[in-house]
Amino acid sequence: MTATEPVFSVRDLWKVFGPKADRIPGNKEYAALSAEELRKQTGCTAAVRDVSFDVHKGEVFVVMGLSGSGKSTLVRCLTRLIEPTSGRLTMDGEDVIAMDKNRLRELRRHRAAMVFQHFGLLPHRSVLDNVAYGLEIQGMSRPERRAKAAEVAALVGLAGLEDRRPGQLSGGQQQRVGLARALAVDPQVLLFDEPFSALDPLIRRDMQEEVIRLHREEGRTMVFITHDLNEALRLGDRIALMRDGGIVQLGTPEEIVANPADDYVRDFVRDVPREQVISVRRAMRPARDGEGESGVALKPETLVSDAIEAVARSGAYCRVVENGRTLGVVGYEELLAVVAGLDDEAEPEPSKVAAV
Amino acid sequence: MSAAPPNPVFEKTDRHRRDAADGDDVRTVKTDAADSAAPGPWARLAGNPRAMLLIAAVLVAIVSAALTGSGAWPADLTVDVRSPLDDLNRWLVDNRTTHPLFLYFLLHISNSAESSVDGVFSVLESLGFIGVTVAAVLIAWYAGGAGLRRRALRTAATALATFAVIGLLGMWEPAMETLALMIVAVAVAALVGALLGLAAGLSDRCQRVLRPVFDTMQVLPAFSYLLPFVLLFDIGIPSVFVATVIYAAPPMARLTALGLRGADAAALEASASLGASSWQRLVTARLPLARKQMLLGLNQTIMMCLSMVVLASMIGAGGLGDEIFTALSTVDVGLALPAGIAVVLLAIWLDRTTAAAGEQLEDPAAGHRPKWWVLWPGIVAAVAGGAVFGAVIGRKEWPEAWTVAISEPVNTVVDWIERELGSGVPVLGGTLTWSEGFANYVINPVRDALLATPWWALLLVAGVLALRTGWKAVVTVVLSLAAIGAMGLWDRSLDTLSQVLAALVVTLLLGFGVGILAARVERVERVIRPVLDIMQTMPQFIYLIPVIALFSGGRTAAVAAAVVYALPAVVRITTQGIRQIDPSALEAARSLGAGTGQQLRQVQLPLARPALQLAVNQGVVLVLAIVVIGGMIGGGALGVDVVRGLAKGDLGLGMTAGIAIVCLGLLLDRISQPSAAAKERALS
Repeated sequence: MTATEPVFSVRDLWKVFGPKADRIPGNKEYAALSAEELRKQTGCTAAVRDVSFDVHKGEVFVVMGLSGSGKSTLVRCLTRLIEPTSGRLTMDGEDVIAMDKNRLRELRRHRAAMVFQHFGLLPHRSVLDNVAYGLEIQGMSRPERRAKAAEVAALVGLAGLEDRRPGQLSGGQQQRVGLARALAVDPQVLLFDEPFSALDPLIRRDMQEEVIRLHREEGRTMVFITHDLNEALRLGDRIALMRDGGIVQLGTPEEIVANPADDYVRDFVRDVPREQVISVRRAMRPARDGEGESGVALKPETLVSDAIEAVARSGAYCRVVENGRTLGVVGYEELLAVVAGLDDEAEPEPSKVAAV
Repeated sequence: MSAAPPNPVFEKTDRHRRDAADGDDVRTVKTDAADSAAPGPWARLAGNPRAMLLIAAVLVAIVSAALTGSGAWPADLTVDVRSPLDDLNRWLVDNRTTHPLFLYFLLHISNSAESSVDGVFSVLESLGFIGVTVAAVLIAWYAGGAGLRRRALRTAATALATFAVIGLLGMWEPAMETLALMIVAVAVAALVGALLGLAAGLSDRCQRVLRPVFDTMQVLPAFSYLLPFVLLFDIGIPSVFVATVIYAAPPMARLTALGLRGADAAALEASASLGASSWQRLVTARLPLARKQMLLGLNQTIMMCLSMVVLASMIGAGGLGDEIFTALSTVDVGLALPAGIAVVLLAIWLDRTTAAAGEQLEDPAAGHRPKWWVLWPGIVAAVAGGAVFGAVIGRKEWPEAWTVAISEPVNTVVDWIERELGSGVPVLGGTLTWSEGFANYVINPVRDALLATPWWALLLVAGVLALRTGWKAVVTVVLSLAAIGAMGLWDRSLDTLSQVLAALVVTLLLGFGVGILAARVERVERVIRPVLDIMQTMPQFIYLIPVIALFSGGRTAAVAAAVVYALPAVVRITTQGIRQIDPSALEAARSLGAGTGQQLRQVQLPLARPALQLAVNQGVVLVLAIVVIGGMIGGGALGVDVVRGLAKGDLGLGMTAGIAIVCLGLLLDRISQPSAAAKERALS
């Protein structure tokens, strides 16, 4: 995955709110302070604090954190809806910070589109005209944009509702309109700012399925902001966990659950059903004498929860096989250790904190 | 006192000073009104330095009043403002046709105002009564959704009824004069208001400058807008036009700004995130999102235009207002009533039409009306057809034979009321007896107490009262009161103030009572709500007609008109304030077994306090507006100075009184304003 060119590349990004915000980034003295201390001393709030990461083509990059962790500010910095205080930001190798007004407008019109937590629909327009709004801003003619909008509306399951007003739709339907509006401009990247937190759990699940389906079908790059760990684990190829403006840990869901970078992350992932995130590659032990030759074979990325079934059926242990080579074996003890959370300490591999 | 001849009502009252007991009475009432939640244990009071300060100031005032017994503003501290004003007036009269300021600026305004009003009037005339009625009905129908649905038909029917009754009452001609003036004034006021609103809505700096100006303009009585423009443009349509535009533009500006600022932030951000330029964002998102507020602003601007156009009959507006003005000055209710009814109907028609347009925006099913390029040519064609038809059958003016003269019977009824109900009704007394009693036993004591208090003690009390709102308010209040004294209008202003206070007390007693009742009993609310709706749209002038019929003029009549005018707003704010409190707080009290009285005293009223303060503030502003107009029907004091100044062309007299009214308005508003903290709470 690292081989492909990053879509977004973010380095040392800061966003500080408050008086004379420029003095905060790069200042050694302030860097050591906690968010609370910084606010007391300078009157400034560092919403995004020295953040670096890459978003690769085709991946779902989830930024997750509690409210106030700076994740929504971060995603707005990507298209400069909020102007970053300092740092470097490139999209497809092009410097976003250096863009002038017109260039930036081009970027927003064609390359990155956003879906908002509170939908941000225009109540005086029909569903179709809302979906077509981005195209209208691009200057597309009315019949053309309406045809395109109808197509996208059908794609996200809004067929038959085109003439309604947003006020007549349910929350889930409204967010489908928001999603369709973003999709209609056919952007390279979709940015989601907590799109489903205002929806009730069942609808939220539906919408998550919808996003997964879209991603599978179109392979579009997505940056997804959420405060819901389960959502992050479900959707994310990689997750950046934020706290007080900084990234605490960045890695695959499995890495984060299996190797929490610190107590904060550990606390965070404590209630995650580990067997549904961790794979047998991580759970296996080296094969002992003769074990490597026979027995049921599993792929290394098989989840522990699936392996449990296989092991239970075979009665003893299963082999973890990659390209015909046995990497190791998993038995009752290894799988139970994962479920019980005992594998954490045993894991010798160093955690990949914020590895880019 | 000024050199103006004393007003007859003023002379009749007995001038001997009351003892301090009366003063005591009055002042407690006053403080209660301004600081409604004051009662409580002494210990709590002692812990509240402001309350202590207020009590101290009131005590000082009472004691000093008792000791001196006379508190008129000292003559050495007065400044002669009338002679410079008279000089200015003379200079303006001499130079009105020659000075470049007039030649190149003001005359253009006045000429174009006059010619456009004339133009619109001749258009209305050439349409004939059939054409005008068709136009009014179709516009109302369009605003109501342009279909066969109930709302469209109802607004259309309102328009039809309005114009038919105006014709029947023989008020067609003056109504068209008023309408012509209205059309021009509303167009300009709405345009000016929308532009100012755009500026204030999009630029923080403009907002900071404009907002206090609008706030202040809102509390000034309509009466005080008339004089400066008479000074500039002389009596006539241009003065009326400019005064109306300036009076009526602020609500449009204020609500436009509010709408633009309150536009859904998520929608605006979405627009920006899709790459909209700032112009695109304004046109496709910001303005459409503010539509509802702007329409509300237009509604208010129209209603204020009507109110002013009617009131401005005093400075030559002509039309319906003139009919009322002439009739009122001769206390001829029968003559005033047809014009009054016509104004009321116009108000209802205009309000319903704009309100229907507003509802139309809200209505999700509204998208289905025919396209504008089908509708508008159709409407124009229908109106033209009506006009041509009228011309062909030779009936452009409303036919004389189709009118009903109601003046005679109305006057008979009014005479009967005065004869039978005026006095001598067993036990009850009668309206005229009440009127006299109210003047003698309520207004006079208040006034005498105010006059008996030394001027510095009044300044002190006013200053301390304003302290709650902030230091700026204290400065404003003290300066306003001092300006009144310095202009030599101390006694007359206190006369006006006494009427305002009397009216305010009655308004608040009734308003809070009815408001609380309506908040608690659904049925009461349902019954009074439409009544309040209608009452709140009526032009101020109208309220004088019924009170004349009952009380035949005088200060009590002015106070009664003020109470009736201010009551709807006070009732509505009280009801809303009590209803909007956190329901869970009330539920908690109920679950603990609180009785009705306990719920009201311990939960509803304390939580609704910001709303109640707002009600007091609104009550004060509205009461003052009518009390000064009441000068016209024998209320005397400052109002009569303005009327007399206008009637005799004595602008020095009128202007000083006008300035004193402005000062009084500022003073009363700042004293009764909710504290900054309370405002914040009400907004959040």
